[in-house]
Amino acid sequence: MLYKIEALTRVHKGRTILDIPALTIHSGQIYSLIGPNGAGKTTLLHLLAFLDIPDSGMITFRSTPVRYIEKSLLPLRRQVVLIDQYPILFTGSVWKNLEFGLSVRKIERKRRKPLIEEALELVGMQDFSHAEAHKLSGGETKRVALARALVVQPEVLLCDEPTANVDVENSGIILDILEKINREQKISIIFATHSHSQAHRLSLHTLILKDGRLSGLPRDNIFTATLLGQVEDRMVCRLQNDIRITVPAGKSLPKAVIVRLFLNPEYIVLIREREADAGRENLLPGTVMMIAAENGRIRITVDIDISVHIFLSQSEYAKNRPFIGEKVFLSIDDRAITIE
Amino acid sequence: MDLLIDSFRSALLLVLSFDHELLVIVGCSLKVSGIATLLASIFGLPLGFVVAFTSFPGKRLTITCLNTLLALPTVVIGLVVYSFISRRGILGSLDLLYTQTAMIIGQIILIVPVITTLTIAAINRIDKRYRITALTLGANQYQMAWVIFKEARYGVIAAVIAAFGRVIAEIGISMMLGGNAKGFTRTMTTAMALEYDKGEFVLAVALGLILMGFAFGINLMFHLFQGRSDAV
Repeated sequence: MLYKIEALTRVHKGRTILDIPALTIHSGQIYSLIGPNGAGKTTLLHLLAFLDIPDSGMITFRSTPVRYIEKSLLPLRRQVVLIDQYPILFTGSVWKNLEFGLSVRKIERKRRKPLIEEALELVGMQDFSHAEAHKLSGGETKRVALARALVVQPEVLLCDEPTANVDVENSGIILDILEKINREQKISIIFATHSHSQAHRLSLHTLILKDGRLSGLPRDNIFTATLLGQVEDRMVCRLQNDIRITVPAGKSLPKAVIVRLFLNPEYIVLIREREADAGRENLLPGTVMMIAAENGRIRITVDIDISVHIFLSQSEYAKNRPFIGEKVFLSIDDRAITIE
Repeated sequence: MDLLIDSFRSALLLVLSFDHELLVIVGCSLKVSGIATLLASIFGLPLGFVVAFTSFPGKRLTITCLNTLLALPTVVIGLVVYSFISRRGILGSLDLLYTQTAMIIGQIILIVPVITTLTIAAINRIDKRYRITALTLGANQYQMAWVIFKEARYGVIAAVIAAFGRVIAEIGISMMLGGNAKGFTRTMTTAMALEYDKGEFVLAVALGLILMGFAFGINLMFHLFQGRSDAV
């Protein structure tokens, strides 16, 4: 376990900008942090980087509760590096920028050279070591900032929108580097992004922040639904294209008529047409539209007049082998349905 | 007009001849103002840094007070210091009145607010991300402060230069606390005032030329230095 967050709040000018009752982040993984502007992503990253102090609650890092005194924070900060959304380089050369983290750690001068060269090579900036840092382009600045963070060999790398304002080429390079350092150096990475595709590409775990709170709703299978009313012991929800899904009436439901409905892919079962049991609740016919490998799992997109994503393990996929265009049914368990 | 041209020509010759009296006066000015600037910097720069960098109750009031002190007339400082170091003052026994030390004390009081407020402004202009970046890269508070100081160095140098310019050109403190004693506490400005009173314009204009030359030279050096750093 890398971080454990309990009852964390951060208040700014009387407004609670972050409120996380509980969150556990494991080491060696990549986490994406998704949310609109003002959702609290940067605040959370600053708290995880020990650059900000929560108003209440506790952060545990590597099983040790964080104490907010300078003496305790310094060793923690030396394990975690945050790269700002718009990183700023110190006045001077690229080399001097990379040397900073090593010199404050009192790394011997002769040991600095290979570390700096290795970090610059990793980000493809080895030819820029003597360039004036302030004269680099936006993409180059981001890559140097990444090298400057990596040269100190952190345990955790926190990136606030690593590809914001970066051209496609540099964006691709940065994402490749993040993937590589996680794979090869086992550096834990938590990055904030607006891009669902980036989150899909890099991370196994996605944290969704909305108004300072972690949303229980992941990125997939979120729909707007209308609560039509109760039929026997079940509440009927109408999604777009008149798709109807029922939930147990006893389930805690919001008072609003228009709600957000999330179908957790973990509890949706893909059933071959011939195996379908018509008596089941929430058994919806559809067509397999897309099959893609993603982070060691197989993502299957089924069109039931709306696109619903489910995941199969490699072995489940090898066993069932659904194919594009195949007529299937989705059996949606009650546990899969969350309404907000 | 002829008077001015003649005085100017004679003054120029006086400067070029390295007149002894002129050199003593210039030396006294540079020594007093230089030491005052140095000591005021030792006190004012860290003070400005601390005020800019930390949050404490009454911070805005402190900055307002410092800004108010910028307008403090030199004669007021002269009077206040005089009341302390005159024979009847609580520090009268130290025999400081009409010494260079007294002038230095008065000038320090004059320019500490200048250095402090300009340092605060210089530090506040520095992007907040430098602080965050230094900390996240593992800097302790002192290492982080040094980063900010380095990034703000031109603003800080400008603060010191402005302070030196203020003291070398002031007259109230030098006259009231130094007494304009020839060879001891006579500075460029007090000598100019005296020569004017006597109706002797040559030395006054010569000193005026040197004073302007200093001001120009210091600013030129600063701009060249800053320009070079921008060009790197």
